[in-house]
Amino acid sequence: MTNFEIGLLSFPALLLLIFLRVPIGLAMFTTGFVGLWLTNGSAFMAMARLKTETFTTFSSYSLSIVPMFLLMGCFATLGGMSQALFKAAEAWIGHRKGGIAMAAIGACAGFGAICGSSLATAATMGRVALPELRQYGYAGGFSTATLAAGGTLGILIPPSIVLVIYAILTEQNIAKLFLAAVIPGLLAAAGYVLVISIYVRLNPEAAGVRERVGYGERFRALFNVWPVLLVFMAVVGGIYAGIFTPTEGAAVGALGTGLIAWWNGGLTRQSLVSSFLSTGRSTAMIFFIVLGAGFYNGFLALTQVPQELSNFVVEQGFSPWLVLAIILVLYLIFGCVMDSLSMILLTIPIFFPVISSLDFGMTPEQVAIWFGILVLIVVEVGLITPPVGMNLFIINAMDRGTPITATYRAVMWFVASDIVRVIVLAAFPAITLFLIS
Amino acid sequence: MYRFFFGLSRLMAVFGGFILSALIVMVCVSIAGRSLNGFLHADMVQAMVPGLANWLLDIGIGPVNGDFELVEAGIAFAIFAFLPYCQITSGHATVAIFTDWLPERPQQFLRMVIEILFAVVLIVIAVQLKEGMDSRIRSGQTTFLLQFPIWWAYALSLAGAAVAACVAVYMAIVRTVEAFTGSVLIADDLGAEH
Amino acid sequence: QEVTLRLHQFLPAQANVPKLVLDVWADNVEEASEGRIKVERFPSMQLGGTPPELIDQAIDGIADVVWTVVGYTPGRFPSTEVFELPFMVSDARAASSAYWQMFEEHMKDGEFADVHILGTWVHGPGMIHSNKEVTSPDDMQGMRIRGATRQVNALLEQLGATPVGMPVPAVSEALSKGVIDGTTIPWEVTTALKVPELVDNHTEFEGAHLYNVTFVLAMNKDRYESLPDDLKAVIDANSGHDFSVFAGGTQSDADGPSRQIAVDLGNNIVTVSEDQVAVWRERSQPIYDAWVAEMSEKGIDGQALIDQARELMDAYDGGN
Ligand code: NA
Ligand code: NA
Repeated sequence: MTNFEIGLLSFPALLLLIFLRVPIGLAMFTTGFVGLWLTNGSAFMAMARLKTETFTTFSSYSLSIVPMFLLMGCFATLGGMSQALFKAAEAWIGHRKGGIAMAAIGACAGFGAICGSSLATAATMGRVALPELRQYGYAGGFSTATLAAGGTLGILIPPSIVLVIYAILTEQNIAKLFLAAVIPGLLAAAGYVLVISIYVRLNPEAAGVRERVGYGERFRALFNVWPVLLVFMAVVGGIYAGIFTPTEGAAVGALGTGLIAWWNGGLTRQSLVSSFLSTGRSTAMIFFIVLGAGFYNGFLALTQVPQELSNFVVEQGFSPWLVLAIILVLYLIFGCVMDSLSMILLTIPIFFPVISSLDFGMTPEQVAIWFGILVLIVVEVGLITPPVGMNLFIINAMDRGTPITATYRAVMWFVASDIVRVIVLAAFPAITLFLIS
Repeated sequence: MYRFFFGLSRLMAVFGGFILSALIVMVCVSIAGRSLNGFLHADMVQAMVPGLANWLLDIGIGPVNGDFELVEAGIAFAIFAFLPYCQITSGHATVAIFTDWLPERPQQFLRMVIEILFAVVLIVIAVQLKEGMDSRIRSGQTTFLLQFPIWWAYALSLAGAAVAACVAVYMAIVRTVEAFTGSVLIADDLGAEH
Repeated sequence: QEVTLRLHQFLPAQANVPKLVLDVWADNVEEASEGRIKVERFPSMQLGGTPPELIDQAIDGIADVVWTVVGYTPGRFPSTEVFELPFMVSDARAASSAYWQMFEEHMKDGEFADVHILGTWVHGPGMIHSNKEVTSPDDMQGMRIRGATRQVNALLEQLGATPVGMPVPAVSEALSKGVIDGTTIPWEVTTALKVPELVDNHTEFEGAHLYNVTFVLAMNKDRYESLPDDLKAVIDANSGHDFSVFAGGTQSDADGPSRQIAVDLGNNIVTVSEDQVAVWRERSQPIYDAWVAEMSEKGIDGQALIDQARELMDAYDGGN
């Protein structure tokens, strides 16, 4: 067997392991290890890599942004920012038809601006908004689907852990990627609100009515949102204005939200410990995937599979747009069962050289940023596509009375809006590139 | 046994959290120092209060020297320290959809095989990290600015890796016992998180 | 072919050193072996790991041949730093020649005993690129500068600047955002980093380089030893002194086109005259003293290395 063939065979082997419930990081690590063994005739090279590679993977300055953003999300919740956001949005639009669901989307978008993770946004906003939605007579599946979709705004609106990983893998500028994600992120929120208004028109029984509140209360509620605005301006604004590097921005955000949580009395010894545990658990999970992916991708490069694949695509003379469409559809399919970060880490080293070698009539940097945002959206759709969507599971678990099938049915509306958005953004790169040009 | 290993993992994770927090504070102090340093050097300040400005500069107002490498060393330790807790709470990302339809016992055997594989991998990682540390001790490599021996950072990380390997072995034993007795000793769901 | 060598390094394939030096070396080896050796080239750290790990990848056999910056692993190869001292080098070819001779005499069986070295060289004139004009050492006061090596950082501190450590790819962003006021780097690297677009001032030094970075092309020792004698001879014929001079010279020559870009942009290029360089040199004397002291702690006669390096560089006649 040639190295190239071993490389090709590693794909089905890896998928088999993953589908056998082997943790994704472990599956990539094992496939990479065995692959290196086979291509070198001994385990020597794989073992030698391990002498330094675990340490250097974990000691990455740029990736240290990940635990910092995760901790920032925990502190933001403790500081009552999720609550304040939802209350403010609800005061302004809660009385409309479907208004509480729209308010939940608005609050998710706001929380997304200070939280880099989808799951954290879904979990936090679910805890805040789900009881309210159910209390005012919103249908179970509709409520859970709304929050699951809203959770994806945690990643779509910067800051975003997935974008950080993409930026590092493709050597792009994190600040520019964050900025490019702003308009698509706002479009996502607008699309979800549109879905809600259509849904309640078609299913009037799915949403209850809430009384209108006075303007005094509305402005009071809005005022309580200032810490969110402050943190967002400091972190994303500071990174973009160049006051500090992305890692420094994450540190400022984490410290800032921590201080606000402490000021608001949300930071107790117990809640600090549980923030550390939750951050630690997610961090270890993510970094083990990063380690496994690095190991696997190093092996794959050795077999020349990514290079050959990209040469093949160029030689065939496929239309760039067809290739892009195929890649995006592949992400959607894999997203049904895999999580976003694993998909990015596994596939970007393969797909990015292919996309870079095609001519879309843009500069390489523009293509890289535009493609990054498109990938970000399609992998995030995976979080809400049945059967395996982490956001769906998290929210559904909070509402024992709603069967997961009800959530599945309602969420397809939001998935549809995501797909429409991907098509629009793919067809009009200028929308994504507008802010960075 | 479970209480011991769970307590140990939890302790490591909390310690990792404190290190992470310390790094966050250090980075913020460094930014503040850097901004202040630039401000004190500014022409206007130098013209108005040169004495005070230069005195502050002389006592070392500026970015934390080597903040970059402190983050690198510290974050590696924090992540290794988080690993045992992730291990004992089954926190790793999986795709369960294709195995969920299997009866309970085959699932338990599958889980056993996976946990044994994980234990082997984490043992190999810890042993090779030790190898890496030894070669750093021999070579005398230091960091760029602070010039502390790089093996110090390896040694810290090794502590976390060793605990992670122990916890993984423990989990492999637990899953093996479960598989052969059909019992459930440690529940495997997201419930452990909150 | 009977032997496949994996060549691993950190720059993209189209950058100057891979294109003008490493590819040439690899092609020559392939040709001279009449196709019996194939050199597989892996740019951009494709085989995994980070740039500082490259030398270990060669030692451990993860890659067969690596090109790396010696300073990525401070403390491991201290003698090479003699060529990194400020204002030590005035010509990349002469320095690369001296570097190889001193490598054979002092380092081959010492610091580099674990690996088979194929070439040793330095880049063209290390200089300053900044948003503020720098002509005298005092201009550096209070500036935040990315230093390329340990010795540059020491010099920056000596001059009252704040050395900021960051990897090369981060320089563009840091410059464009004002996180740093300038960077030390040779001309050749500025094009890829878009430095001329990001700063207006460039400070060159007449007669001596502000600093230099030392490189090695290194091969796994067992891999080399295991080659049949005729293939060993092929590797030997393409390595060593002449290759080192070629590599250093080629890299230095690549400065020209990059410098032209800054000229075309109308940037302010300051050339510190030789008289003025004397002032800079004087201010950097403490760096020499500190280095000699540090070396003597390691049991190395630093002053002797400095003297020998100067002697060999002076003796270099441009030919063979
Ligand atoms: Na976000
Ligand atoms: Na999914």
